[in-house]
Amino acid sequence: MNDFSELEDQLRKLRPAQPSADLATRIERALAEETSVSTAAVLPREGRFHFNWLSLGLGVAAAAALFLFAFIRLQQPAAKGPSVAATSPAPAVATNPSAEFVPAGLTQVVYHTRDEGLHFPTKSSEPMRRVRSQSRDTLRWRNPKTGATLQISYPRDEVSLTPVSGQ
Amino acid sequence: MQNVATDENWKTCFCQLAPGLVLFARQWARSADDAEDIVQEAFVRFWRKQHDITNRGLLYATVRSIALDFLRRDSRRSRRESTAMSDVDHSVAPAFEIEDDTQRALVAALDLLPTEQREVLVMKIWSDLTFAEIASALEISQNTAASRYRYALAALKKNLATT
Repeated sequence: MNDFSELEDQLRKLRPAQPSADLATRIERALAEETSVSTAAVLPREGRFHFNWLSLGLGVAAAAALFLFAFIRLQQPAAKGPSVAATSPAPAVATNPSAEFVPAGLTQVVYHTRDEGLHFPTKSSEPMRRVRSQSRDTLRWRNPKTGATLQISYPRDEVSLTPVSGQ
Repeated sequence: MQNVATDENWKTCFCQLAPGLVLFARQWARSADDAEDIVQEAFVRFWRKQHDITNRGLLYATVRSIALDFLRRDSRRSRRESTAMSDVDHSVAPAFEIEDDTQRALVAALDLLPTEQREVLVMKIWSDLTFAEIASALEISQNTAASRYRYALAALKKNLATT
């Protein structure tokens, strides 16, 4: 009937190694993370940008800087006084206070840390422990005059190498 | 559309499919940890898009796509790290729970199969996917999937005979 039925039976007796116990926990956490970050306007929705943290962070930072710049430029005409002829130097105009944003907070949330074990960097006989952590930083500014707030949020992927003592 | 992936039923689906999915991902990953990372990302992506959970072909296609992306990134990373690191410590946990020498020989013979045959064999034997589902996951015809499966078994038999 089937020349390979015995071989197929042998193969089916081979059991795949079980995934580590924390895989389900990691998926659960990741799904929860996906749910919570979906409320933030600046976060990526497309999965293919999932690991492109650096580009995303730079893009968001650039967009925030542009927004801030445009906001300040738009506010300046309102602060100008009437155009008058003057022979004396124009009085120094104070920076428009309504355009001033002051830092209001910084939040750093580490949502995943993985110990990647010991490594031996080149030219070093001393082992180093490599720990990779993924976190999300959120910076906020507030304009005390107008009550306007500005917030940027970006993911961060950090790898730290710590020398391990032989003792 | 009652079988849409939701937060409530992912654990049930995960328990049934995880060993097969991780084994499938191991074909492209250098370590068990990397394979689990691939499965994690695939699961999250699949659930976030609320696909039909009976569409196992799509889930495997997602794992395969992420694994291939991972492989490309990993090879670039390896080239970068090779200048800075030596003797990188990768986990080499076995893909199977081997009980005797016969099974050890079988696993060794499996490793010799071409990827296109091995991936069909893995989906068919350890995940019980139909040829239709395998064809869907690999974007090939059912006949091609069935042929690759037969070629894989024939090659496996030949490999075992020579060892």
